[in-house]
Amino acid sequence: MADTAPLWGVVLMPFALVAAAVAAAGLDAAVTAASRRGPAAALRDLPAPLGEALRLLGQQRRRTDVADIVLGRVGIGLVPVAAVLAAAVLPWGFRAVTDPVAGIVWFNAMEALAWAAIWLAGWGPNSALSLIGGYRFLAQGLAYELPHMFALTTAALGAESLRVGDVVAAQQGLWFVVWMPAAFLVYLLSALAMAFWGPFGHPVGRDAAGGAVVEYSGADRLLLLGGRWLLLVVTASFSVPLFLGGGQGPLLPPWAWTLLKTAAVLVLLIGGRRLVPVLRMDRYMEFVWMVLVPLTLLQALFAAVVVLDR
Amino acid sequence: MDLSRALRRFVARRPPVFLVTLPGATAERLAVEAELRSRGWPSADGPAGASALVVAGDPGGDQLAWLGETWRCVPQPKAYAVVADAVNGPGALDEVSELLVRAAPEMGPVGAAAPGEPHAGHTGHEGAPDHGADGDQSSHAGHSGHGGHYGHAGHHGGVVAGLPIAERADDRDGLRLDRLYLNLGPALPDWPAGLVIGVALQGDVVQEAEVRSPGTGVAVHRCPFWSAPWLLAAGGETVPCGAADRRRCAAHLDSLGRFLAVAGWPDPAARARRLRDAVLADVAPGEVARSVRRLTRRIRASRTLRRLTAGLGELPAARARDLGITGPALAADGDVHARLCVWLDEIERALGGMNDTRPLATDGAEGPRGRIGGATPPSQALLDVLPVLLRGAEYACARLIVASLDPDLDELVYAGVAHG
Amino acid sequence: MLDDVIFWTLGVLAVAAGGMVFRFDSMARATYSLLLSLLCVGGLAILLGLDYLGVVIVLMMTIEMAIMAVFMVMFMMNPAGLMPMSMLHNKRGGAALCAGVFVLLVVGIVLAPWPERAGRADGDPTMALGQSLMGPHMLTMMTLGFALFTTIVATVVLSTRRGRYDRLGDDLRARHADDPVRGGIGR
Repeated sequence: MADTAPLWGVVLMPFALVAAAVAAAGLDAAVTAASRRGPAAALRDLPAPLGEALRLLGQQRRRTDVADIVLGRVGIGLVPVAAVLAAAVLPWGFRAVTDPVAGIVWFNAMEALAWAAIWLAGWGPNSALSLIGGYRFLAQGLAYELPHMFALTTAALGAESLRVGDVVAAQQGLWFVVWMPAAFLVYLLSALAMAFWGPFGHPVGRDAAGGAVVEYSGADRLLLLGGRWLLLVVTASFSVPLFLGGGQGPLLPPWAWTLLKTAAVLVLLIGGRRLVPVLRMDRYMEFVWMVLVPLTLLQALFAAVVVLDR
Repeated sequence: MDLSRALRRFVARRPPVFLVTLPGATAERLAVEAELRSRGWPSADGPAGASALVVAGDPGGDQLAWLGETWRCVPQPKAYAVVADAVNGPGALDEVSELLVRAAPEMGPVGAAAPGEPHAGHTGHEGAPDHGADGDQSSHAGHSGHGGHYGHAGHHGGVVAGLPIAERADDRDGLRLDRLYLNLGPALPDWPAGLVIGVALQGDVVQEAEVRSPGTGVAVHRCPFWSAPWLLAAGGETVPCGAADRRRCAAHLDSLGRFLAVAGWPDPAARARRLRDAVLADVAPGEVARSVRRLTRRIRASRTLRRLTAGLGELPAARARDLGITGPALAADGDVHARLCVWLDEIERALGGMNDTRPLATDGAEGPRGRIGGATPPSQALLDVLPVLLRGAEYACARLIVASLDPDLDELVYAGVAHG
Repeated sequence: MLDDVIFWTLGVLAVAAGGMVFRFDSMARATYSLLLSLLCVGGLAILLGLDYLGVVIVLMMTIEMAIMAVFMVMFMMNPAGLMPMSMLHNKRGGAALCAGVFVLLVVGIVLAPWPERAGRADGDPTMALGQSLMGPHMLTMMTLGFALFTTIVATVVLSTRRGRYDRLGDDLRARHADDPVRGGIGR
């Protein structure tokens, strides 16, 4: 069912991703402004992320003493690169840039790359607070990665394939979210955690004066924080082919359905952020390993039994 | 060049501001915060993320050294403004805008040590190497004004590039790991103004903590903002009970906002700050009461917040009393979350008393941070207990513990009590 | 042609990055240089048509190396190599050993009489891999899994200084474990 996109799609994809990230960041800025200064401010703050990007582009890049500049820059650069590479297997409608046999594992591997990258970015500037931020993200990875993998496995199990196109095709008629709700919820949580955004923003928390980004300014900061939004958009939109039936839906063309569903997931995540404070991993870890891991295992068991029974 | 000017103009419309508050300048901080909010300017997490450094208070002496350090960490183009008097808040921010448009040659903290000059008298930065030449900005490891290695070079493993190397010691769990000496403060976001805590960190666990030079040696001859009604009453002036309750309510809302910001819950934190300003602006109690109650209810109902903060910084009442602690920290008789709940209770109680016009009792008065009129101001006892509570806490927990006690250094610089 | 270019690029990069592990004097650089080498190996596996194995190598090695970096730095908290510090003991011996093994393998690969391909390659190598692992070798894999898991648990039990009696009291009745910091697993 899923074809690979033509060449122009490959070229277009990163730009579409950036546009989506800017839209998501704008929505977040608007919601924040509305809750602080009233609805009138929301409209004014909608383009704020673009302004912030312009500001950072015109800004000087800082360098710290005895910094490991190479590793720091590798880490910073890897974040947006990993996000774009992960998006390569993301079907827009029914077409992805590429649809390899092990597409789901590829997606997960690229996320892991971003995970290692943040630590590098935190290590680079030779600053204690920045390194603390990097460590926090590694701890976060240990918390979310396992249930996240089980959630991905459950979707692959339901489709009996690791190919993203097959997963979408297997949801004809019944979306996976209906009979894998636990996996879907865990996936959404880990999507937030992976993008270290919202309740999982501890690695760049205000208490550590910005954590992993504390010493970065200018283009470095833009790549790191922009890459974070790219990650959020990619992980959120990957939930659509995994659990929400991809481009399937009546009347509208598949790409429109993908867009609609992705937007809905993003709105849900951005809106939900306001409800909870930032989670510290020393406390969240317990919840993950005692509740979420068994939950996803049960969910996988359920999916396996359904598949065997088919 | 027109393009870069247009870009500067665009940026100058809403530059992120890193606000540093000096002890004794609470009124100025409130004015700047209110002004930032009404303009919609973001508040930066640190100097690297800012376009402008705004100082609330009139810096002098030692303060100029670390302000200069912080200023050097702000990337170009940048602007610097001092708000020495609360009424100048709006003007200072206009000035920031203008400076950013003009891209004027940088006008930093006057009197700050030039780059390369050793900062005599400052804790740490011994023998800082010459750097920061030709526009390429450097800063020390974690020195971005919010923490530098402090002077322990004597028993250190060594010094590389002018920075002390970590040394080893037993950690909390019985492993022998490296420890790093850092100063927390005075320019951390949402940190008590003027507080500097020297910590020995292993990873992100605090092994040792020491409160260092709060007030940074500057005596301010102005009544501390939050405990002013009680101090004035003790001095013989007649202060209505309602005014005191209003101040107490605002003081706790301020502490609440800081705590929630540290806990990473920006939405209610911003709400608490807005309500604080409304309470201070003499809005009729009836108008804010509902919003305040909605906020306190929301915070109390958050089970996530309770799970995240329970068990941190346990301070039983008996121990607190021995240490001379009074006020909310004594009444809480428990952990960080218990202290948070006491604030919420007192906020609600103070809401009811705002219309009281009876004069405030002149002795034995309880201010927002404890008993006023004792030998030492209540915040001194809070500072004294910090090293004990911080030992063994992770960095994030240490921030929460400090925010839950929220010592007010205005009281110390006013009384002229020097410490450490 | 393109395959040849990719093969040689990845191969040379993998060997070079592996060699750099011995040259770097910063633990973080050495670790991530090793990671680069392993990522190239993963790329080579993908080039051979083993998509799943290749991607899994990338995934697992990334996670592994990131954690390894932390463990190494944990015992030496000085950000960004303030002090030159090698992660290797017996550097020369280690290098000689590695070079020796490398040469041995290369010689083996070049000299070995490789058999001609018998039959055709499976259409879906991932499926074939799964079948052969989970089919006839199911028992081996299960045993292996349990052995690995037991090793992990045993190592943790042996290395922890505080046992459950320290944490939960002599009769294990305490409701909250007596830990330096609340939270975490196994309260």
